[in-house]
Amino acid sequence: MSIADVAKSVIKSINDGDALATVSLPAANFHEGTVKLATVLLGKKLGGIYITTSRPSAHIVNELEAAKANMSDIYFVDLVSMTVGGSIDDARTLYIESPTMLESILLNIALLERRLKSKRRFVLFDSINGLNIYSEPKVLREFINVLGNSMRIKEIYSMLMTVKEQTGDELAAALELLSDTMVGD
Amino acid sequence: MAKKDVTKPISLDPRGGRPREKCVTHIEGIDRILNGGIPVGNIVLLAGTVGSGKTTLAMEFLINGAKNGETCCYISVTEPSSKMLSNLQTYGFFDDSLVKEGKLNIFDLTVINDRLGVERLDGTYTAKDMEALLGAFEDIVDELGVTRLVVDSITAVCYQLPDRGSIRNFIFRLSQFLSTFGCTTMLISETVVDSNVQTYSIFGVEEAVADGVVLMGNIVRQGDLLRSLQVVKMRGAKHSRARHLIELTPVGLAVVPLLKWGQDGGQAFT
Repeated sequence: MSIADVAKSVIKSINDGDALATVSLPAANFHEGTVKLATVLLGKKLGGIYITTSRPSAHIVNELEAAKANMSDIYFVDLVSMTVGGSIDDARTLYIESPTMLESILLNIALLERRLKSKRRFVLFDSINGLNIYSEPKVLREFINVLGNSMRIKEIYSMLMTVKEQTGDELAAALELLSDTMVGD
Repeated sequence: MAKKDVTKPISLDPRGGRPREKCVTHIEGIDRILNGGIPVGNIVLLAGTVGSGKTTLAMEFLINGAKNGETCCYISVTEPSSKMLSNLQTYGFFDDSLVKEGKLNIFDLTVINDRLGVERLDGTYTAKDMEALLGAFEDIVDELGVTRLVVDSITAVCYQLPDRGSIRNFIFRLSQFLSTFGCTTMLISETVVDSNVQTYSIFGVEEAVADGVVLMGNIVRQGDLLRSLQVVKMRGAKHSRARHLIELTPVGLAVVPLLKWGQDGGQAFT
């Protein structure tokens, strides 16, 4: 499935009234595809919260800017920069000390959600596999369940990005059970 | 046959009855846990280990009350009020004008003791001192019309009482008149963790007399410290007994349920 087709499927899912999608992309074009997807959604006048577990948010910001994404209503929750000693001074970003502090993600989404100006909003979780490194499968499954349902209640469209080659059967089944739609290969 | 009214919501409170008037903390997660707030006039023991966020929670409770027009009072036992005031400036939710307008009053127990002449060289109150101190608290609450009070910490006060009987008597008497005045109170209790078990107080008396107990602590998860909060009891309120995670944010405390599986393995009270 091409990145353009993935973006089309996500937009259709939003228009269909879905709340939660798992978006699976191959490792080879995962980063490129995720940034492209965010760019498309921001271009459709959606406001968003970008949660990054695999790369510092400063990199994502650079890539979004290079892609000429509309940056007027996007915020970041960054679980990487503090852990690796990166820059932590971006006004659009809330930084979490450690990727084990899963509940902090929910708290920070709640804080940033109040700042979003757009009527239609999304949360892009880049990526579920990034958390897999630090949390036990049962903890991660519980977190995904809580995150998905919290976003459903808040009526924020959520995308759980997964790297196709890194997503085992058990995690894939948990994501499928929770999601309204599965997008990608 | 008359149609049955199916629109009436089902009450989930097995006790039924009328709910008590609540003192809304305006700390979103806390009010949700307490089903609307602390019953007015309750004495709540806010028990926790060092760095668990007790003082911040108590301060936000007072500041939110003051912002809503209530007269609130903080009695500092362990550190000078000037130091407390400068710490307050670091809270994004603090507003200087609350102190200037007399909505947030901060008192030093040592100053109260000096004025009452009850400071003893051996650091122990006599029965007469205890009466004088209770009288001083009563005067503050009555004369200022205080509806929210924090004593930080009750543990430090208890250290100056000669025995457990005196502690029980002191807290009981304190709660009696505060309840009469409709003053909702938080007594901060410094606790320790022994063999992975966290107690509610040092002396083991305070929790029995208090109307409510809120337990705060630090949890270790894979080497990281997480702040937790759990309401153990709250007379007059149906409340959650689940353990929650709290975080100190620029806009105040934020509360979210702690992941259940995240409480096992590699995670312990400290």
